[in-house]
Amino acid sequence: MATHIAPLRKLWALHVLDGNDIHLSLKELYEKLSNGKSGCYWELFEVYKHLRSLGYVVGRHGIPWSVKGQHIKSGTCSLEGSQESNEMLEMEPKDENSVIELFNNMQITDVSPAFNVYLPNSKFRKSSPGDPSFVLYISRCSPPSRVEIEALERKHGAIPFKFCHVENGRVSFFSFAKTELPVLS
Amino acid sequence: MKPRWKGKGSQAKANADPMSKIVSQLQSSLIQSETRGLLSSCSVLVEVDAELADLLNRSCFGRPRITAQEDKQWFQLDMEEAFYLCFSLKCLKVIGENGYIKSNEELWDYLKSKKPVFPVSYKVYSHLRHKNWVVRSGLQYGVDFVAYCHHPALVHSEYAVLVLSEGDNDLNGRLRVWSDVHCTVRLCGSVAKTLLTVIVNSNNQGANSPSCLEHYTVEEQTITRWNPERSREDQTGPKNGTKKV
Repeated sequence: MATHIAPLRKLWALHVLDGNDIHLSLKELYEKLSNGKSGCYWELFEVYKHLRSLGYVVGRHGIPWSVKGQHIKSGTCSLEGSQESNEMLEMEPKDENSVIELFNNMQITDVSPAFNVYLPNSKFRKSSPGDPSFVLYISRCSPPSRVEIEALERKHGAIPFKFCHVENGRVSFFSFAKTELPVLS
Repeated sequence: MKPRWKGKGSQAKANADPMSKIVSQLQSSLIQSETRGLLSSCSVLVEVDAELADLLNRSCFGRPRITAQEDKQWFQLDMEEAFYLCFSLKCLKVIGENGYIKSNEELWDYLKSKKPVFPVSYKVYSHLRHKNWVVRSGLQYGVDFVAYCHHPALVHSEYAVLVLSEGDNDLNGRLRVWSDVHCTVRLCGSVAKTLLTVIVNSNNQGANSPSCLEHYTVEEQTITRWNPERSREDQTGPKNGTKKV
């Protein structure tokens, strides 16, 4: 599934094409996003949409940029902004449940690395993306503890990381950074 | 994080008059004058002459109280300030209601009874004061302290300090939920301060006596909000001088 996003600031519309270049209705899109097995979650989509509409380059952490010719199994989801992408999202059988109920079933309970984000206007190329400007974690439960932050700092080294909190359609980004105030004279 | 100095010449003034030196002068002067503080509820009151009043003002300890007295001035010290002068700088003695000087242990017990988080709060206060930062109450900003790199008359405070604890002395319930993070960061931003959390771990030492303090460990952390709308074009990072992205 390739996602082509129209200028969201003006239109707030999302045109979604599936592997067969058929427009999906909003209901179908939401149903796909609600399906936990595909690995796509509603909050991930909200964050992705938010950053993409502002021009950031966003890739799913752990998924390579170039997977031409590969068939991705269910359990992964690539939300690249590129129209050249030919990843496919496996469709799961539709439920009879209403769309609203599907929303209620969706949750992210763990803090797990979600996206690699690159600044807009950075000289980004899929063939050699380089290090992301930052790695983004999506949090739903509680803010990270000091111990968690320290572990992430060790894990990511020089690459900054941020936390994103999504609630009520509001997407907020926070940086937690270990510091040490200097000794003054 | 660059300090925001108030007006021209403030930075030069501050550089010429290091806080460590002012505090050191205050310490000597208090020892020499054998000043005694009066314990009153959650404050310690001290009666000082003009020279000491000047030093207290310049080092930002206590608040002067308005009185009709001309030759002497009264200052009111917060718990952390008073204990710092008594225990860390060893230049002040405090008299209790019975008229006798309180030992550090007795003062510690008393202050703990008034404020259960006092051990952790004091650790943060003394940690920053030891690095020669000026530390004042942050109550009006909904935080524990505000920290300045010199006198508030010369510089705006850069940090709003929140005391957090981990381990067995976890009495402070702040920033446990996202709404509190949103609230606190927003408030700090509206008063142009960076939120600094100082996390104290008591390492299972408890808080029976002030000697436990030296075994507490302290970690500092900043929490800042990132606005994707503002950072797009600026490759060198946001205008407030924090690191890139």
